[in-house]
Amino acid sequence: MDEYLVGVLSNIAVLGLVALSAYLLLLVGALSFGQQAFFGIGGYAAGIATALWSWSLIPALVWGAAIGGLAATALAAPTLRLRGVYFAVASLAFAEMTRIALELFRYRIEVDGDLRGPDGTQGFREIRCVFENGITPGEYLLILCAVLAVALVLFAWMERSRLGVALRMIGTDPELAAVQGVPVTRFRVLAACASGMLAALGGGLYAHLTTYVEPRNVDVMLGVHAVAYGLIGGLGTAFGPLLGVIFDIGLLEGTRWFAGFRMIVFGGLVALVLALRPRGILDERAVHQITRIFRGKA
Amino acid sequence: MKREWNEALVTAIALVMTSSPVLAQERARAENSPTPAKEKARATVSCSAGAEKLTYECRIELLGAKSGTPVTGADVTVGADMPSMPGAHNVKPVKATPTGEPGAYKAKLALEMHGEWALKITVTGRVRDVVIHRMRFD
Repeated sequence: MDEYLVGVLSNIAVLGLVALSAYLLLLVGALSFGQQAFFGIGGYAAGIATALWSWSLIPALVWGAAIGGLAATALAAPTLRLRGVYFAVASLAFAEMTRIALELFRYRIEVDGDLRGPDGTQGFREIRCVFENGITPGEYLLILCAVLAVALVLFAWMERSRLGVALRMIGTDPELAAVQGVPVTRFRVLAACASGMLAALGGGLYAHLTTYVEPRNVDVMLGVHAVAYGLIGGLGTAFGPLLGVIFDIGLLEGTRWFAGFRMIVFGGLVALVLALRPRGILDERAVHQITRIFRGKA
Repeated sequence: MKREWNEALVTAIALVMTSSPVLAQERARAENSPTPAKEKARATVSCSAGAEKLTYECRIELLGAKSGTPVTGADVTVGADMPSMPGAHNVKPVKATPTGEPGAYKAKLALEMHGEWALKITVTGRVRDVVIHRMRFD
């Protein structure tokens, strides 16, 4: 497969995980502009595990996801009671705090005669586990696709379960959900934890894909895009955010039809979709209609 | 409907399982291949604006990180990613060609926008390495 195509598909898979993490929070009515914080935390944690502690890839990714989940839970516990824009601002503030903390973070130790590890604003290079094990970009793409597929299957299962119904109830009307006996706070914190884990997993995979992660990766742009993917693709199904990523990275970026104007086109598209379809292309109604067609009840 | 979800689950598990043998095969291939040189590369990069908008002519000097000797006869590929939006602005990797001077290579990059980029220089041959070089393009 063409090297560029492999790169584009790999990016779609990584950003798909971050988009799913923002989508999970949108389901419970929380708008987060801070998913990049967990992406960065996951990237650094998994990178430290393989590059400095010589862990193998899978335990390192699990470790990164766990640290991301822990950080998300720590943020969610005091802030998820905030509504709408207040939670969005809190999540953004947390992400900026994380970015600045990573700019100050230095943890360098000697590995094989070289000094390695996070070096403040210079970032964290030499995350070479994938490269040194001879895993080709094509094979790494397979791993990324497998992780994304597992995440999508888990979402599909969750959305058809009572948990999924409860999460959507919380997102629609938390007071009504509480009256119905849904433990609103507990489920919100659970969703935040899972969302942090997903974003951190994306960060860990990205760090090993590029061999490099740095504080600038924890930029607000990533958080805004993560939310925008869900809003464009639709909030009716977990395939919605993925559709948003495919549209942006696959079509706008991959084809380079719009070259330097891509971000303007993307911004305009978000505004247009929000005006015409406030819950995205694959919103609940569209998903319901598609499901009926597949069941032969159209 | 339940059967469809089961099929989706089986497909996902199959994907995970198929990726494992591929990795094992690759590892075995790497073990049987001649030991790659352990030395890493150090890169010095300078770029100047090209004739077309957002194109840059880059000169890459590769030296052995420890020996300091020029890395000659290597296959060098240059890609770029924008750190502020990881994975979203991907530059099509281009092959760098030797300039004739020892350890010096040149490549023409076509970026999507101005700003800070992380160049990913992949070196294969006598030295096998990935070097990240961050620089600003205005």
